[in-house]
Amino acid sequence: MIHVFNYRDKNYIYDVGSASLHECDTPTADFLKAKELGQDVDITYITDEQIAEILSDVEGLKSAGLLGKDEVKAYPMKSDEVKALCIHICHDCNFRCRYCFADEGAYHSKRESMNLETAKAAVDFLIQNSGKRKVLEMDFFGGEPLMNLDVLKATVAYAKEQGGKAGKKFLFTTTTNALLLNDETIAFFNAEMENVVLSLDGRPEVHDAIRKTVNGKGTYALIIDKIKKFVQLRGEKSYYVRGTFTAKNLDFAEDVVFLAREGFDSISMEPVVTDLEDLKLTEEHLPAIEAEYERLCEKYLAMHEAGEGFNFFHFNIDLEGGPCLSKRVSACGAGNEYFSVLPNGDLYPCHQFAADKEFYMGNVWEGITKPQIREKFKNSCLFTREKCGDCFAKFICSGGCNANNYHFCGDIDTPYEMTCAMMKKRIECAMHILAEKKRLKSSENL
Amino acid sequence: MIKTIAKPQEKKVMGCGECRSTCQSACKTSCTVGNQSCERVTREEKIERK
Repeated sequence: MIHVFNYRDKNYIYDVGSASLHECDTPTADFLKAKELGQDVDITYITDEQIAEILSDVEGLKSAGLLGKDEVKAYPMKSDEVKALCIHICHDCNFRCRYCFADEGAYHSKRESMNLETAKAAVDFLIQNSGKRKVLEMDFFGGEPLMNLDVLKATVAYAKEQGGKAGKKFLFTTTTNALLLNDETIAFFNAEMENVVLSLDGRPEVHDAIRKTVNGKGTYALIIDKIKKFVQLRGEKSYYVRGTFTAKNLDFAEDVVFLAREGFDSISMEPVVTDLEDLKLTEEHLPAIEAEYERLCEKYLAMHEAGEGFNFFHFNIDLEGGPCLSKRVSACGAGNEYFSVLPNGDLYPCHQFAADKEFYMGNVWEGITKPQIREKFKNSCLFTREKCGDCFAKFICSGGCNANNYHFCGDIDTPYEMTCAMMKKRIECAMHILAEKKRLKSSENL
Repeated sequence: MIKTIAKPQEKKVMGCGECRSTCQSACKTSCTVGNQSCERVTREEKIERK
């Protein structure tokens, strides 16, 4: 399968089977759209000479396995080895953000923190169920993880100790709203955390409209200097400043650029998942969102060219050294290699399914007691998602987020078309950026 | 005219599982596997460059 698309005045061909990206002129793009994709495109203006050249180019690429390559259609069963846990170290939060999927930290239950006994049992569960895996992950999540810092620190120490004995390496991540960052927590994070995700929505007025204290005050001024200090001391280690955009800020490119100009060079901005009428994103917003991704793409490239480049998570695409096919096909690991652990030790497929009793899978002491739920997740992969079959993006997005699919379409194997549309636009932007960066690099080398 | 921009390199390893879970990379809501690199290859390249 090929995908022919244009980005402003540029034409691209993405070959799904080989994961190759090509740039072409307009006659070639129109010819391929008409002849290979059956689209109603006028090609009467293309001369016989041009057609001969196009056919010759196409034949050359096909011979090299870079166009029209057969796609992988089968994939071996996934293993039962557990790789990662999302540790809900604290089901409480010192913010009250309106769009919070986690019921402002409480997950529609009581506000509570995980005790050390439970956290240690989670570590033991992970090691015991990790099989031959050498690299294991723990993501400290909430609520707000820093509200239970002592247990978080003790859990890291215990995991390193037990991991050392078992020949396993732990990678830790924390997602935080940054309010409790101080010299001590920054030093701890920089020593122990492989990645830190800091929640910040962008411009102060955008952030403050949603992310509030328990008393209903905006939080931007309370956290910005703390995040800046953290990033300043982070060195080469990974972090993301992560924002959420809603129907209230469809001009979210301004927020990404604002964050970049504040000095953050690793940014992610995600579409909100909420039922709130004034914030939720619907299909009627889609044209504006797609246009905004293009606007962000232009600003991103302009800043890159001016030496002010930054990393925007969704514009990363690595067609040369990206993930292996095994990862691309196996899709999200939730419910099979990845679980969420609630403060009481209960296991769920991931944080987005947390506390939905239908998805209760067991606990860290007894292990998986609902194997039928695990089987459903284990058997799910790109090829069980029928709607993905004819999508050019399938080996890049892997069929999307299980939880997103379930919450919008009632089934983990049915992708939500709104999410798909945003994904495809971001991927096209990422491919254009890849081409533009190569063009810039080659012109610099001249 | 068709010009190749990018084509995949032969993979030295497949399915080693050393990469991070997609959900834990940055977003926690809209994961994209293709936004990540093969961490094992990236790490080995870093070692080779040293």
